[in-house]
Amino acid sequence: MLRKLSRFFQYLKLKHLNDTNNYQEEERIIPDSIEVFKERLERVFYDCSDFSLREITLGDETRVQLIVAFIDGLVDKNLVNNDVLRPLMIDSREADLATHFNQSTALKTLKNDLLTTCDLQEVKSFKQLVTAILAGDSIIYIDGERVGFKAGTRGWERRGIDEPQTEAVVRGPREGFSETLRTNTALLRRKIKNHKLKLEMLTLGEQTNTDICLCYIKDLVHRDILETVRRRLKRIKTDAILESGYIEEFIEDAPFSVFPTVANSEKPDIVAAKILEGRVAILCDGTPFVLTVPHFFIETLLSSEDYYSRPFFSSLVRILRLLALILTTVLPGFYVAMVAFHQDVIPFKLLLTITASREGIPFSVFTETLLMGVTYELLREAGVRMPRPFGQAISIVGALVLGQAAVEAGITSTPVIMVTAITAITSFIIPPLKGTLPIIRLILILVANILGLLGMALIIIIIFIHMSGLRSFGVPYLAPFSPFTGADLKDTLLRYPLWAMWTRPRFLIKNNRNIEDEQYRMKKDIRTKED
Amino acid sequence: MSTDVQISKFQLAALIMGFVFGSTAIMNPVTAVSQDAWLSYLLGWAAGFVLLGIYIAISLRHPGKTLIEILFVSFGQYLGRIIALYYIWYFIHLAALVLRVYGEFFVTAVYPETPIIFLLICFTIVIIYFIKSGLEVMGRVSELFVPVILIQVILLSLLLLPSYDTNNFFPVMEKGFKPVFDAAVAVLSFPFGEVVIFLMVFPFLNKQRDLLKTGFLSLLIIGLVLLITTVRDLLVLGADIYSRYSFPPEISARLVHAVGLHPIIDINLLFGGLVKMGVCLYAAVMGITQLFNLKNYQPFVLPLASVTVALSIWLYDNFLGMLPFVYIYIYYALLPLQFTIPVIILIISLLRRNQ
Repeated sequence: MLRKLSRFFQYLKLKHLNDTNNYQEEERIIPDSIEVFKERLERVFYDCSDFSLREITLGDETRVQLIVAFIDGLVDKNLVNNDVLRPLMIDSREADLATHFNQSTALKTLKNDLLTTCDLQEVKSFKQLVTAILAGDSIIYIDGERVGFKAGTRGWERRGIDEPQTEAVVRGPREGFSETLRTNTALLRRKIKNHKLKLEMLTLGEQTNTDICLCYIKDLVHRDILETVRRRLKRIKTDAILESGYIEEFIEDAPFSVFPTVANSEKPDIVAAKILEGRVAILCDGTPFVLTVPHFFIETLLSSEDYYSRPFFSSLVRILRLLALILTTVLPGFYVAMVAFHQDVIPFKLLLTITASREGIPFSVFTETLLMGVTYELLREAGVRMPRPFGQAISIVGALVLGQAAVEAGITSTPVIMVTAITAITSFIIPPLKGTLPIIRLILILVANILGLLGMALIIIIIFIHMSGLRSFGVPYLAPFSPFTGADLKDTLLRYPLWAMWTRPRFLIKNNRNIEDEQYRMKKDIRTKED
Repeated sequence: MSTDVQISKFQLAALIMGFVFGSTAIMNPVTAVSQDAWLSYLLGWAAGFVLLGIYIAISLRHPGKTLIEILFVSFGQYLGRIIALYYIWYFIHLAALVLRVYGEFFVTAVYPETPIIFLLICFTIVIIYFIKSGLEVMGRVSELFVPVILIQVILLSLLLLPSYDTNNFFPVMEKGFKPVFDAAVAVLSFPFGEVVIFLMVFPFLNKQRDLLKTGFLSLLIIGLVLLITTVRDLLVLGADIYSRYSFPPEISARLVHAVGLHPIIDINLLFGGLVKMGVCLYAAVMGITQLFNLKNYQPFVLPLASVTVALSIWLYDNFLGMLPFVYIYIYYALLPLQFTIPVIILIISLLRRNQ
């Protein structure tokens, strides 16, 4: 408690020292003289070479001065030309301004008759005008008024909607999120055409002012979960939010756990499906990765494609993924334990082969496995980081260090190469745990060398105790296995046919007083005998 | 009593099953009567239902109260506290016994050159983490692991099917009824009477009306599983080896043809032991917390667990020394703690209700 308080005061102190963007109270008001306004704007955007300011005079008899300001590169120049500047400078000549246009009606005329932008808002504070300019809108200021206009002219160079590289599918939509927040929300809105899909905006990051969007379906989302998300997002005090990973680290339940309690995805169909289950999505401007909370452990084993292909195959694939998870976690440790402690369990002929291939190897089985495991991790990292032209070199060298050459050099034995290879292949099957499994695998190799299978069992028990205690936004991480919920097992290791999944996940919906019991159930049309 | 901790009926059932399976799976007292083991076991199991019925009745008569609080209510502050201390001592002692049995088991079966204290400390570290995570997490972990134990027992029994020899059942009651009865009393005390510890856990069940059903069903299932192991080991090993070998399940696991399963079986057996030790120590720390009217039990976990490790070493010199010890133990544990005091509490509560 005291520590929290002192941290808060320290933050306030630092903020005071640090804050240059903070406006004084009198500066928030828009000045009513154009000279003051211009001078103030230029002071704010001093040394910002991309800032553009345009002065216009309007009217025949009573001439009114206007200012149009925007940031070059953030606005769509066509929009500014056609919807803002052209109406003001050319179309206004044709309009009958002489009769009733004067200083007092300028505001209304501009708003109702002249400006043709679809998105036009009145803004009453100077700070909001500055924010609007920085966000890519154009602002229009009329001399003598304490109000400015914000015209939506955002449009910058952006990446198109590509197929995401991290989550490839054989069947299913190919589109992925891009870096622009508005595009991403539009992608979601296109999936869920429902007015109950709410998109709450907020700004985070004291220097970057990054736009964050909270996305959920009202009436489906659990009120407590939504409140928790809002509360935790508001609590974030940081300079910069450059990627959704920043937010993830600030809002996750267990910062000292190796397991992720926040999920992320690049694909609108996955995020839409999770929102439809009653989860909250957090979109962050500048990254295609969208966070969804709460996150269950079982979600790491699921893929969107499971729902697009037939249930039998999906169930089989899910069981294979579980097998892959087990293999990639315990296989190296299991091998070490078997060879070092439990030789009597290995079938005799296999034992002979292992012994023969280990002949002449200078290292213990533990060192050997660890060596190969670390080599593989290095190779993997090199594969991600290397500049593309080096790719071929890496693959040739990689095949040498993790292959026959290593065996012939007498550094390692063939079974260890096999074990490492199987571990590597299976680790690619569960990408969401890519940051978790190598650590657990390493620990398991270590304890397997100390206590054999018993040591591994103890560590696995500790991991399970840890996982059982984890919660993601108030929801148990291992649900629906523990706490056991029979109704939710339909979408875990076996995927039931979609028409048989007619209840929503219990832990996301339970105790939700927003909706009546009837509405818990997705009214999927249940197949009757006629069809 | 803080009521924000709650466990579901599945979790309670898993805890009871893991607890009863616990050390009984590796060391069943009925091995003493060799080929009549199943008979003694059946008698003990049947009486176990009566004991469990008494405990559940007590818990239902005192809704939301743990054993320690029930003792205060029934016997008053002073006598109640003394009896509560006796129970807490029993819980710690039981935890130490189970810990030692598991240590001996692993030292004998798998790690003959490892010092036992090292294994005990390793187990205890896991248990400390287990208890510190709270009763809810204990329930959830048991919920995950106990089904694995049950599957393992059934799988192993099926794999051993070719080695069964029904002649091992005979002769029935070779030495008369007396030894069978003695072994039945032993098995009633250990493990079925030990369920008295669950008086510390019952009040945390979220739906109290499920208590009777859950308790009896879990005792039925786990009793059946233990019966399967007893009969399996007897049929596979024969009466002679069965009564002589300390850990029959381990040696029958070695008899599976072509596959070496026993390290995995050993580890499966460990799960039950962890649940048992966890529940014992949890009851002990919870009891101490309530004895002194404290709120948080966390600070007691580490010291008490350390005491348990030391105690488990002091209990007896070696594994053979344990057997006579256990028979004495039954008379001081079974009679007063598992039977007499609960019955008195039940009578008191019945009388009070009638007033």
